[in-house]
Amino acid sequence: MTGRIWAVALNTFREAARIRVLYGILVLVIGANLLALVLGEMVAGEEARVARDVGLAGISLFGSLTAIFLGVFLLYTEVQRRTIHVIVSKPIERWEFVVGKYLGMALVLTVLVALFAAAMIAMLVLQDVGVSSAVAKALVLAWLEVLTVAAIAIFFSSFSTPFMSGIFALAMWAIGRVTPDVEAASRDAAPWIRALTRVTLEIVPDLHLFAVSGRTLDGAHVSIHADMVSWGYVGVASLHGLGWIVGLLALAALLFHRRDFV
Amino acid sequence: MTFSVERGHIFGFVGPNGAGKTTTIRTLMGLIRPSGGEATILGQRIPSRAARFKVGFLPESPYFYDYLTVGELLDLAGRLFGVPSDVRKKRADELISRVGLDRARTQNLKKFSKGMLQRAGLAQALMNDPELVVLDEPMSGLDPIGRKEVRDLILSLRDQGKTVFFSTHILSDVEAITDQVAIIARGQLQAHGTPAELLRRTVLGVDVTVRTAPELAPERLAELTAGATRVRQVGDELSLVLAADADVDAWLARAHAVGAKVVQVAPRHETLEELFLREVASADATRGARA
Repeated sequence: MTGRIWAVALNTFREAARIRVLYGILVLVIGANLLALVLGEMVAGEEARVARDVGLAGISLFGSLTAIFLGVFLLYTEVQRRTIHVIVSKPIERWEFVVGKYLGMALVLTVLVALFAAAMIAMLVLQDVGVSSAVAKALVLAWLEVLTVAAIAIFFSSFSTPFMSGIFALAMWAIGRVTPDVEAASRDAAPWIRALTRVTLEIVPDLHLFAVSGRTLDGAHVSIHADMVSWGYVGVASLHGLGWIVGLLALAALLFHRRDFV
Repeated sequence: MTFSVERGHIFGFVGPNGAGKTTTIRTLMGLIRPSGGEATILGQRIPSRAARFKVGFLPESPYFYDYLTVGELLDLAGRLFGVPSDVRKKRADELISRVGLDRARTQNLKKFSKGMLQRAGLAQALMNDPELVVLDEPMSGLDPIGRKEVRDLILSLRDQGKTVFFSTHILSDVEAITDQVAIIARGQLQAHGTPAELLRRTVLGVDVTVRTAPELAPERLAELTAGATRVRQVGDELSLVLAADADVDAWLARAHAVGAKVVQVAPRHETLEELFLREVASADATRGARA
């Protein structure tokens, strides 16, 4: 089983590594970090703060967008180009194929996030600022967010076109980032809006758990620059993300299992 | 449709475009869920993962990951079949040579011609040393030499005791190598059996070829061709088809009398092409009557 999943994952990694857009995104993120360096110079004494904020935002934004891009295309193109005919006619279960596809994507995204993080850390080092545990925690959380978004995209891709999957995944990501704000906003709304909001929030992963810097958690302000969450919180958030990833992949596998490849 | 394939045989699955050949094969290979009925492969009811371990499959107009080399494609196929790594490498090397892709080892599949892709597809279908090989239009896109090589490959697989099930439009290939044939049209099985069982053994006519004298008079030529169903003259060579009940001896005597030399006399039996056209026409007529 693991051999087949690994074979699909390795092939997916090879496939994704050839997508030139990814290299464009990498350049863009490095450019954003360099811009942070310039912006930091303009705000005296705040160079490190700007570098951390821009770097982290870049990882979260571009990492998530890349996850959506890869998720909606890589599974779909297997079906569209009929390369899947050669694969699923072999003794591989369809769920193994979906998991292999996801793991290959996760591997690519992990490499990308690592490169984004390296760019951010390089900027911090250039400014003689050390990498604190707060930065490390923020990076781990951003990586988890990207992996969860990839699972969202692959779920939609298991039954929809890349365009529709992209729209759905983007919407889910956007709502997932602001679920507490949506909940707060609906508090004074009409009962049916509150009910609708409640249902919506139930089916959307709480991605805001991964983007905590600048938020208030349990009455305390959390920031990458000062009081960051504990490693315990990172562990709980990881389990939350893992739960969503497993659930979404299970649903994707179920839908993929029912598909005909004509 | 109901049919069975004997182990160790070459089974030709033929039918016109849209007859349902590829749909049948995709259903057997688990790409499409059947709407009804049942099928077994090597004793396992489909869709069966256990059976897929013993089956090699070449899809119609195969699409592969074009960034891979043929060696990488075979490695991927071997991994999916669970072939151990040392066997995988050795078998991939053998198969690349066997399908004649030695010179293209380092090229990406993106640079392969259609014929080369077909060969790569055949190689990946054999990576698990299968008991049953299912080939959907394996001769498609190949030149005459390539077709001959694929025919030889299919025959060598049978010699190794493997069962080969292949679909094709090229009836001469079917006639040349199959032990069993199934003809389908409009999703229905029209005929199934060995070529000997299916083709009408009655003599349909007599093919005669003679070399005539260069200065053969037109009235003598008319005498020879009288009653023939098909006549063709190229230079001094005259070919014609006599009716099945024609007096061949009397005709040959007439030919000798005008100085012609006999090159060939052969009884004409039904060909697979004629059987195919008859069965397809029958399917069309049945459908027309129902409508």
